[in-house]
Amino acid sequence: MNLFALAPLLLLLPAAGFLFNALIGGRFFESSRKTGERWSGWLATSMVIGAFLVAVALFVSLLTNDFHLEIVPLMTWIDIPSAGFLVDWAIQVDTLSVTMMLVVTGVGALIHIYAIGYMHGDPDFNRFFAYFNLFILFMLVLVSGNSYLMMFVGWEGVGLCSYLLISFWWDRLDKNGVPANANAGRKAMVVNRIGDFGVILAMILLFWTFGTLNYEPIFTHAVEFFEANRMVEFGAFQASLPTVLTAVTALFLLGVAGKSAQIPLYVWLPDAMAGPTPVSALIHAATMVTAGVYLLVRSNVLYEIVRTSGAQLLGLISTPDLVAYVGAFTALLAGLIAFSQNDIKKVLAYSTISQLGFMVAAAGMGAYVAAMFHLITHAFFKALLFMGSGSVIHGMEHGYHHVMHGHEGDHHDDDFDPQDMRTMGGLRNRMRTTYIVYMVGALALAGVFPLAGFWSKDEILLHAQTHELPILILLAIAAFATAFYVGRQLLMVFFREPRSEAAAHAEESPALMTRPLIVLAVLTVLGGFLNIPYFTAAAAERFHLHPHSIWLMLEAWEEHSIHSFELLEESVLGLPKTPVVFSPVVAGMSMFLALLGLGVAWLIYRNKPETAEDPDPLQRTPIWWFGVLPLNTLYMKGLVPTFNRFAEWLAFPVEWGFWHDFVHERLIRDSFVTASEFTANVIDQQGVDGLVNGTASLTKRIAGGLRLTETGYARTYALGVFLGTVALLVYFLMAAN
Amino acid sequence: MPNTVTIDWYIALSAILFTIGALGVLLRRNILILFMSVELMLNSANLLFVAFARYRGVLDGQVLVFFVITVAAAEVAVGLALIVAIFRTKHSTNIDDINLLKG
Repeated sequence: MNLFALAPLLLLLPAAGFLFNALIGGRFFESSRKTGERWSGWLATSMVIGAFLVAVALFVSLLTNDFHLEIVPLMTWIDIPSAGFLVDWAIQVDTLSVTMMLVVTGVGALIHIYAIGYMHGDPDFNRFFAYFNLFILFMLVLVSGNSYLMMFVGWEGVGLCSYLLISFWWDRLDKNGVPANANAGRKAMVVNRIGDFGVILAMILLFWTFGTLNYEPIFTHAVEFFEANRMVEFGAFQASLPTVLTAVTALFLLGVAGKSAQIPLYVWLPDAMAGPTPVSALIHAATMVTAGVYLLVRSNVLYEIVRTSGAQLLGLISTPDLVAYVGAFTALLAGLIAFSQNDIKKVLAYSTISQLGFMVAAAGMGAYVAAMFHLITHAFFKALLFMGSGSVIHGMEHGYHHVMHGHEGDHHDDDFDPQDMRTMGGLRNRMRTTYIVYMVGALALAGVFPLAGFWSKDEILLHAQTHELPILILLAIAAFATAFYVGRQLLMVFFREPRSEAAAHAEESPALMTRPLIVLAVLTVLGGFLNIPYFTAAAAERFHLHPHSIWLMLEAWEEHSIHSFELLEESVLGLPKTPVVFSPVVAGMSMFLALLGLGVAWLIYRNKPETAEDPDPLQRTPIWWFGVLPLNTLYMKGLVPTFNRFAEWLAFPVEWGFWHDFVHERLIRDSFVTASEFTANVIDQQGVDGLVNGTASLTKRIAGGLRLTETGYARTYALGVFLGTVALLVYFLMAAN
Repeated sequence: MPNTVTIDWYIALSAILFTIGALGVLLRRNILILFMSVELMLNSANLLFVAFARYRGVLDGQVLVFFVITVAAAEVAVGLALIVAIFRTKHSTNIDDINLLKG
C-alpha cells in the first residue's frame, strides 16, 4: 500500500486549523462561548488527529515499502543557479521522521483534547488553538523536511510558537508587578537565539563543504570525502573533513543546548512553565524540546565520522563525547536542582531537562535508537505528568474557589499559588483518576519495572556500561536523583493529609481532561514493549534483528534511517554498538536505584513538612543549594547584559550608524535619488519629452513652410502642373536616349 | 514652290503658340483670357498633329485633331458654364479672387 502521496496533507491539515482559528475562529464566539469553544477546539483537534492518521498512513506505506525512504516533493523554495543553491521543500518520509510525526501528532492530539477542557473559559480560547495548530505545523515541518534548511524553518517556527505560548497570558503581572510571563517568553526566545546562531553557522559550513543542504546527499558525500581523505578548501586555507565536521557538530551541539535545554542554555525551560499547562506538556516536554535530540540522531553520520576519525575539538575532546558529557552532566545537575523546587511544574521542568540530558547523552554515545526510544517513552510519560499536574492545579483552583465561596471575603488570600506543592497533600482521595495516572507516569519516570521509562532508560544505561563508564556513573546518580524527586513530589502532592483548605476541597477535573490522561497512562505502561531487548545471547543469535519479531521492534525500524549502522557493517565507521541482550546487572542496578530513591524520599518526606509554612527537610543540606545555583544569575547578570550590549552595538553603530545612515542613506538612497533624478529630469524631460515635442514642433515647422506653397491661386497650381509635365518630359526624353 | 516651308517651321510655330498659351495661363488674371490661352495650347498641339500627319503622309494625326476639337468644344461648354456660375457668385472674372484653396 503506497500512500506517500498523502504526505502534503500532514502539513496542510494543521495549517488549515491554524488559519481557521486565526482568521475566523473568533466569529464563532459571537453567538455563544459554548459554540465557539466547540468549533475552535474540536476543529483544531480534529486537524491534528487527521495529521496523525496521515502519519499512520505513511507508517504503513513504509512498512510495505520495505522501510525504504521516500521523498515527496512539494515545491522549489530557493533556486539560485549562479551559486548552485537549490532548496527544494520536500517531505522526507523515512522511519526516523515518521517516528517523530507519530509522536508529535499522536501525543499532540491527546494534548489538544485535554486543552479543550483546560482552556475552558479562557477569553483567548481561539488564539490558543491557533498557536497550538501552528506549533504542530512547524514541528511537522521540522521533522519532515528533507534538508537542514527546512528543518531550520521548523526549528525557528516552533521557537516562535514556544515564545507565543509561554507568554500566552502576557498581560498577567506577578506579585511584584513584573510581567513574568512575557519575560519568560522573551527569555526563551533570547536563549534560543544563541543556539540558532550555532545551527546557522553549521549550515553555512555544510553548504560550503558539500554544496547542498539536503540530508541524504550530505551524508553520502561526507562518507565519500571521508574515505577519500579529501580536504575542504577555505580560500587560502585547507581543512580535513573531520576538522570541518568537528566544527559543524560542535555548532549543532550549541543549537541542541538551546532547543533541548542542555547546559549551559537550559535556563529558559524552567521559566517556560509560565505558559498554560498543555503548552508545557506538548512543547516543553513531549515534542519541541526533543528537536535537538532529533537533530543529533538525524546527523548521526556526521558525528560518527568525527568519532571514527578521532578529530578533537580544540585538541581536548571529540564532539560526540562532548555531546555525551553535556547530556550526562545536564541530566545530573537538573535532577539535583529538582530536589529544591516547590512548584509542581518546576519539578517537572527540571525533570524534563534531566531526561533530555539522558537522550542527548545517549545520542552522544552513539546509542541513537536508545535516544529515540527514550524520546518516545518520555513523550508519553512526561506529557502524562504535565497534564496530570495541570489536572492537579485545576483541582486546587476549584478547591480554592470553593473555599472562597464559602467564606465570602473572609480571609481573602491573594497569595494563593495553585502550583505550590507545599499547600497540597492528600489529593489521592480527592482526585482519584488523576492520582492513578500520575502514579503510573511518575513511576515510569523513576524507572520502575515494567513501565516504559524503565526499558528506555535501561537501554541508555546498558550502552553506557558497555562503552562509557564515566557516563554510566553520572547517569546512575541522575537516575537516583530522578527517583528521589519523583518520590518527594508524589508524597507532597498526593499522600498524607491536606496542608491547605484548597487541597482539602480539591475536585477531580472533567472527563475531557482525564480521558487523554488515561490513554497516555496506557501508552506509558505499554510503551516499553516497543524495544524490548533479547533476554539471552542465544535468542539474540536466533532472531538477530528480525524485522517482524517482537524484540527490538524500534531498533529494527529505526536502523533504516540511521546510516551509521550500515556504515558500521561496511566497516567505514566505528560507532559503538548498543548491546541487544538484556543485562540483569544494569537492570538490577537501575531498579535498585529507583527503589532506593523512592525509599529515601519516603524516609525524608514521610511526615515532613507538616504544614505549608514548614521549611523543607532538605533546606539546610548542601544538596538544596543546587536549586539556587548561580546559573540563572549568571544568565541574568552575564549573558543578558552581554547580549544586550552586543545587540546595542549591532543596533546603533552597526545597524543605525553604518547600515542605516551610511549604506542605506548614503549609498543606496542617495544613489537611488540621483539616479532617479537623472532619469526624471534628463532622460524623461529632456530625452523622451524632447523627442516627442521635437517631433511635434518639427512637423509644425515643416507644415508652416509647406502651407506657403498653397497660395490658392489657380496659376500656382497651373505652374505646378506645367513644371511637372516639363520634368516628366525631360525625364522620358533623357530615358529614351 | 513646294516644300519651302519645312516641318521645322511648323514645330517652331507650334512651340511659340504653346508658349504664348502657357504664359497666358500663368500670367493673365482674367479668367476668360485664361480660357482662351488654354485653347491656344490645344490648337498648338493640333497644328503639330496636322503638320506631322502631312509630313509623314498618314492620316492618324488628322483624325486625332477632330477628336481634340470635339473634346475642346465640350470642354468650352463646361468651362464657360463654370465661368458664368463663378461670375454670378463672385461678380468678378479675376482668377485671383478665387483662392479658397489657400493654405
